[in-house]
Amino acid sequence: MELTNISFKKYRGRRLDPDQLAGHSVTYWKDVWRRIRKNPTAVLSLAALMIILTLSVIGPIISGHDLSTINPKRANMNPSAENWFGTDNLGRDLFTRVWYGARASVIVALVCTLIQTVVGCLYGGIMAHFGGWVDEVMMRVIELITSMPTLLITILTMMVLGNGMTALLVAMSITSWCGTARLIRGQIMQLRESEYVLAAVALGASPFWVILRHLIPNTFGLLMLTIATSIPDYIFTEAGLSFLGIGLQPPNTSLGVLISIGQQTMDFFPIQLLFPALILCVLVLAFNLLGDGLRDALDPRLRQ
Amino acid sequence: MLSYSIRRFAEMILTLFIIATATFFLLAAVPGDPLTERVEKLPPQIRQNLYEKYGLNKPLLERYVITMRGLAVGNFGESIVYPGQTVQSILQEKLPASARLGIQQMVLGIGIGMILGIIAAMKKNTWLDYGIITLAILFISIPHLIFGLLLQKIFAGELGWFPVIGWPKGKDLWTGGWQYTILPTLAGCFSYIAAYSRLLKTSMLDVVNQEYILTAESKGLSKMHIVLKHVLRNSLIPVITNLPMSIAMCITGSFFIERIFSIPGVGMYYVLSVNERDLPLIMGQTVILSIIYIVVIFITDILYTVVDPRISIQGGRR
Repeated sequence: MELTNISFKKYRGRRLDPDQLAGHSVTYWKDVWRRIRKNPTAVLSLAALMIILTLSVIGPIISGHDLSTINPKRANMNPSAENWFGTDNLGRDLFTRVWYGARASVIVALVCTLIQTVVGCLYGGIMAHFGGWVDEVMMRVIELITSMPTLLITILTMMVLGNGMTALLVAMSITSWCGTARLIRGQIMQLRESEYVLAAVALGASPFWVILRHLIPNTFGLLMLTIATSIPDYIFTEAGLSFLGIGLQPPNTSLGVLISIGQQTMDFFPIQLLFPALILCVLVLAFNLLGDGLRDALDPRLRQ
Repeated sequence: MLSYSIRRFAEMILTLFIIATATFFLLAAVPGDPLTERVEKLPPQIRQNLYEKYGLNKPLLERYVITMRGLAVGNFGESIVYPGQTVQSILQEKLPASARLGIQQMVLGIGIGMILGIIAAMKKNTWLDYGIITLAILFISIPHLIFGLLLQKIFAGELGWFPVIGWPKGKDLWTGGWQYTILPTLAGCFSYIAAYSRLLKTSMLDVVNQEYILTAESKGLSKMHIVLKHVLRNSLIPVITNLPMSIAMCITGSFFIERIFSIPGVGMYYVLSVNERDLPLIMGQTVILSIIYIVVIFITDILYTVVDPRISIQGGRR
C-alpha cells in the first residue's frame, strides 16, 4: 500500500504526556504475578494449598482433641460431630492426626527443598566460578552420585542414620541437590557469556555487581521452578518410604505413616485410609498445577 | 565411536567400583549387625565360630578386600538371616517377577501414553487435547502407592474380580496367571501414560513447526503420511532418550507396588533385607541393582548416537 499525505490526519484532541502514553513500567515479577492471577488453575491450586497449609497449622487446635490421647471406647468410629474424620484403632481423633501428619509431610518437603537449593546453588556456583579442573572433578562427583539408583542411596542412608526426622531429611536430600547444581552451573555459564553481562563489564561493573544484579535475578526464575517441582516429589518420597517402613515410624506422624496404618485396616475401616490419601493427592496435585502455572508465567516463550 | 564406547565402559567399571566401596563402608557404619541379636543367648564358643564364619571378627579393611575380591569373581555373598541363601540364588528367584511386572507396565504405559500423545498433538486445542493433558497431570499427581491401594480395594476387595495379592509361580511365571498381574500392572502403568503422552505431544508440536514439514505439505503428501513418516519419526528422539531413565526408574519404582500386592520381587526382598539388617545381602543386591542401572544407561548413551546422528560424540560430551 502506498502511503500518501491523505493517509494521515493531524491529531486534534487533548495533548497527551509522552510518559503516560508509554504506560508505567512493569517489573518482571509483577508481570509473573499478573500472569499467574490470570490462570484460573493456578489460582485455584494456590487457594487449595493455602487452605491445606492453614488447616495443617490450626487443624489440631480447632478439633479439640489431642494427638495421642487413647480412648479405647471410641475406637474405629466413623466421622461424627465429635470426631470429624472418625477415630483410629486406638480411638485417637483422625482429624487431628491427619493434619498433624500433613504438617510433618510439608515441613519435611520444605526443609529438603531448602537443603537441595542451598547446597545445589553453592556447588553449582563454585563449579561455574572456578571452571577448569575444579569443575571437572566436581562434575565427576555429580555423575557418580546420579549413576546410582536414588531410592537405594536413600534407603541405605536411612539404615545408617536410623529412623528419625534428621535421618530422613539427610537421606532424601543426599542425591537431589545434584540436579540443582547442574542447572545452576549451566545457567551461570550461559549468562556469563551473554551480551548484557559483557555490556555491564564494559561499563565498569564490579564482579559483585554482576553477580548481584544479573546472575542471581536471572537464575531465580529457574530456581523457583525447581523448587515448585521438588516439593511434591519429596512429599511422595516421604510417603513411600514411610509406607515401606523405612521412613518415619510411629509414634512420629506423617501422611505416609497414616497411609501405611490405614492400609492395614483398609478392608474394615476404609475411612482411615481415605482421608490421609485424599489430602496427599490434593496436596501434590495443587503443587504440580501451581508449578505448571508458574512455568507458563515465568517463561511465556514455552507457551504454545 | 569405538573409542568413545571404550572410554564409557572404563568409566562404568570405575563407577561400579566406587559404588561398591561406598556401600561397603556405609554398611560397616550401620550400628549393630544381624548377629548381635541372634548370638546373645549362645555360648561364647559358638558365637565366636559364627562371627568367624561371616568374617565379622576380622578388621574392617581385610573384610573390605575379601568382599571386593568376592564381587570381582561374581560371589556376592551369603545371607546371615537365612543361612545357605546367596544373593545369586535369591535374585534368580525374585528377578523374574520384578522383570515381568516392569515389562508389562512399560509396554502398556508407554504404548497408551504415545497414542494419547499423538492424539493430543493432532487435535491440538480441542477438548480432546485438554482432556488428555488434564488427565496426564491428574495421573502424575496420584502416587502409584495410592493408585495401587485404590485398585486393590475396589477390584480385588469390593468387586472380587481379581485376587487381592499373589503372583504366578512355576510354569506360569512368564505367561500365565494374568489375573494376578493385571492390577499391579495397571497401578504402575499410569505414571508412564502420563509422562509419555505429555512428552510426545510437546515433541510433536516442535517438529510440526519445522520447515521440512512445510515442504512435505507443499508436495501434497497426505496428512497421514506426513504424521507417520516425518513428524512421528523425528519426535521419537525425546521418547527414546527418556526410555532408559524409565527402565532404570522401573528397577526401584516397583518397590511400592510389590509391597502393596505382596509380589515376591526384588524390591520387596530388598526392603525385607534392610529391615532385617542382613548386611551381606544388602551389599550384594545394591551392587547388582546398580550394575543393571548403569548398564542400561550405558547402552542408551551408545544408542543415542545411533538413533540421532546429529548428536555429536566429539570428546564424549553432549
